[in-house]
Amino acid sequence: MRVLSQSRSALRNIFRKRQAETQLDDELRAYVDLVTDEKIAAGMPTTEARRKALIEIGGVEQVKQAVRDRRAGFRIELLWQDLRYGVRQLRRNPGFTATVLITLAFSIGANTAIFSIVNALMLRSLPYHHPERLGVIFTQIRGPVTSDERHHVNGEQWELLRDDVPALLSAVTGSRPSGVNLHAGSYVGYVRQGRVSRNYLDVLSIQPLLGRNFSDLEDRPHGPKTAILSYGLWRGDFGADRDIVGKPILLKGEPYTVIGVLPEGAATPMDAEVYTALQPTQDGEGGGTNYELIVRLRDGATWQQADAQVNRAWLSRKGRYELGENPGAHVSYYTVPLQQGQAAPLRPQVMALMLAAGFILLIACANLAGLTLVRMLRRTPEVATRLALGASHWQVQRQMWLENLLLAVLGGAAGVAVGFIALRGLLRLLPEYFLPVSGVGLDGRVLAFTLIVSLLTSVLFGMLPAFATRRLDLRSAIGTRTSTGTEHLGLRQALIAGEVALTIVLLAASGLLIRTLIHLQTLPAGFNPSGVMTARVSLDDARYRDAAAFRKLLQESIAAMRRIPGVQNAAVGLSLPYERALNEGGITISDGKETGQGVVVDAVYVSPAYFSTLQIPLLDGRAFTDADGPNTQHVAIVNRTFARKFFRGANPIGRHLDKGMVIVGVVEDVQLVSGLNPVAPLQSEETLYLPATQIEGSMLSMVHVWFQPSWIVRTAHPVGGLTAQMQRALAGVDPDLPFSGFYSMSDVLAKSVATQRIEVALLGAMAALALLLSAVGIFALVANVVAQKTREIGIRIALGSSVRQAMVQIGAPGVRAVATGLILGLVLCAIALRAMRSVLYGIAVYDPATIVGVTLLLIFVAVIATIIPTLRIAGIDPAQTLREE
Amino acid sequence: MPAKQANLLQGTLDLLILKALATGELHGLGISRRIEQITRGTFVVKPGSLFPALHRLEEAGWLSGFWGDSENHRRAKYYRLTKAGGGQLERETEEWTRVASAMTHALKAT
Repeated sequence: MRVLSQSRSALRNIFRKRQAETQLDDELRAYVDLVTDEKIAAGMPTTEARRKALIEIGGVEQVKQAVRDRRAGFRIELLWQDLRYGVRQLRRNPGFTATVLITLAFSIGANTAIFSIVNALMLRSLPYHHPERLGVIFTQIRGPVTSDERHHVNGEQWELLRDDVPALLSAVTGSRPSGVNLHAGSYVGYVRQGRVSRNYLDVLSIQPLLGRNFSDLEDRPHGPKTAILSYGLWRGDFGADRDIVGKPILLKGEPYTVIGVLPEGAATPMDAEVYTALQPTQDGEGGGTNYELIVRLRDGATWQQADAQVNRAWLSRKGRYELGENPGAHVSYYTVPLQQGQAAPLRPQVMALMLAAGFILLIACANLAGLTLVRMLRRTPEVATRLALGASHWQVQRQMWLENLLLAVLGGAAGVAVGFIALRGLLRLLPEYFLPVSGVGLDGRVLAFTLIVSLLTSVLFGMLPAFATRRLDLRSAIGTRTSTGTEHLGLRQALIAGEVALTIVLLAASGLLIRTLIHLQTLPAGFNPSGVMTARVSLDDARYRDAAAFRKLLQESIAAMRRIPGVQNAAVGLSLPYERALNEGGITISDGKETGQGVVVDAVYVSPAYFSTLQIPLLDGRAFTDADGPNTQHVAIVNRTFARKFFRGANPIGRHLDKGMVIVGVVEDVQLVSGLNPVAPLQSEETLYLPATQIEGSMLSMVHVWFQPSWIVRTAHPVGGLTAQMQRALAGVDPDLPFSGFYSMSDVLAKSVATQRIEVALLGAMAALALLLSAVGIFALVANVVAQKTREIGIRIALGSSVRQAMVQIGAPGVRAVATGLILGLVLCAIALRAMRSVLYGIAVYDPATIVGVTLLLIFVAVIATIIPTLRIAGIDPAQTLREE
Repeated sequence: MPAKQANLLQGTLDLLILKALATGELHGLGISRRIEQITRGTFVVKPGSLFPALHRLEEAGWLSGFWGDSENHRRAKYYRLTKAGGGQLERETEEWTRVASAMTHALKAT
């Protein structure tokens, strides 16, 4: 009641101030009148009575002020006054305000954008039911080779996990969604298919909107072919047909019965459009580690129990593939929460970016502290006047803090806007399905983070000036007209040196990443990438399990593409250069002194013109020809690395593999996304090329589940409507076979170095921002010295100093600060850059060119930032400055 | 009697104002005079203390103010006790009696 009444009064006092004031006026006048009446009644003359009454009341104004001071809402009103005064102050210094706001907007924006990603990847809970009970299994290997990461599993591991680990409800999936052809009525499309074991949706606790989940029977090898549709596909391509369950759709060229539809918004880590039963096995696909695992802790069980059961089950296996290349190693398994497991591969990069964003914030704070300090010094006379008029130190301080807070809040708001735009740009930069989460946005946690960062910033940059003004000597401050500009110069120089040092580290780090990217993009490709257009087709299709049908498709479609005007050559290959190739083990060398040696290689089936179309040089022997057919001698072509590695440079032509296959040619190495022994994102690996015509049907149907072969055409010059003509050419052979998309070789390269490109773009942007902020800081320092020392410079010039001497003298503090920062930064680089070793390829961590380049760039920018403000010295008229005093 | 005024304990003024208004509505000067009367001239409340206190009590909802005519036909702001103010007066009186008797007792103790 009392609180309510008071707050009502507070509102009235604030918003109906004039009315309250008039009433107070009237009330006091009435009081004086009443006292006067009393005195007149007592026999006093009128004028005398009034005078006495006024004396008695003791000053009407003071009484009014006493009432105002006691009024509810008085403090708020005071704050409001201070705030309005602050806004006026900021508007009177538009240059200062704009600099601070832009600095804050950029630095807070960068932090907001990066934190949004951290939030989405690591903090926001996953969009699944009880996500904390979902997990993945990490394999820890300690031995000659040490590793600790999430592994794919094979069929044997899956069965042991399913049968012998009661603490977990487990499911396996194909390692990633694959593109397949979907026909439904007149609709033909290329959709993302997720192959999942029967428990997958149970693990995620997803109940179908219509129908049911996969049954045990359907998940067995050769079980009935069934499919579950995502809500989006059902709505979009099937018109939300509620009778869809039980109907057949043509998937991969075969009828699949729809058994269910997922509810709207049901998210899965697979993020597929159509789900089919994985039908896991112990041989074939399940003979290798080709399944991805996800588990849910069953009610009543603990993660410790689960870990113990997993270790017991998996350590008793017959085939311990972990020990294959690592004999005697100690292997153990442990569960990791799903979110952590998913984010693990990206965590180092994201953390590095967060660190860089933190650097930006520190640099911004150093700049702002310098600016605010100067502004505070300029306001010394004002502060001194306020103190002399009776304001308390606390009141003056409160005013300063309030102005900082105002700036921080405005800057924070601008930062959110900048962050939002930056985040959208950033997400557009990322390849599709790059992040293991579906959405990255600004939620409450991000906004709270931004608010905290803004407030922290305001405290950081407000603290220094606040300390500086606390020791203000009133008498001397009022005596001098303005400060001389040399106060706290050392402090400001230290701030500049600090930000220059951090800038150097960011510049050097991004310089190294740029050099890495250049290295990767300018690797000798081993083929001619210009003028090549490629398109991918899913052949995971019932009609092409038969090798003869596959051969016919290849032959006719390649012939049709060659007929397109302007096309020089056309070919098909299972994978392209710059892509990851199929890894194949189990091949043995069957003659010479290497007889019996098993090799693991990248295997690529190709049509005869593959090498001539891509212009991969033939080093020795012959390329494949149309004469290499299913019933002729089985042949193979190896690359240079294969020959060097397995035949130690001896001529491999005529040597035999797997008894029946003879090597007929050697071709140049091309760059691939590494799969066998990844030491760099792109490298050349031992590769075995096989004629597409000699691949068996069973092998085709297995590799086509994982790989979508590419059709490749080479044109001498750009051909208008090429992709449409390619589609037409393919449709002429099989109208039901859609291309999944068209890619030039530079698209393929860009995709394979996407991670590096993103790193360069992000860190480069941060480094540029840091450089800009440092330049602003240096500029402000020197400009301020020039402004404050105008008179001194005037005297110097009057006494015969040249403009150049004056410029050098004035610019010196800036140069000294930069030099100190430069040395500090290089020392920091020596310590910090070692952490980047794992993301650098083709260059050393202490790359002299990068260090020299970064140093020169910084010196260049610093010199410009110093010279521009000192140019004003030339315009100083000694006579005028002297007269001004 | 300024010396006595200085002895006005915190809260005493509020209690006196509430008490002064217990018998009926009064304007500012009336309250001042009434307090002087009921304390037998011990407390003279100056406007500088009276008006802030009146406004505070009004904002707390214990008094309500309204404009009325004085006995010699001057427009003045009158105050009257609200229901909440009556309750407050009772509570404060009780509290004051308790403290006063305790103090009296304490000072008489040997």
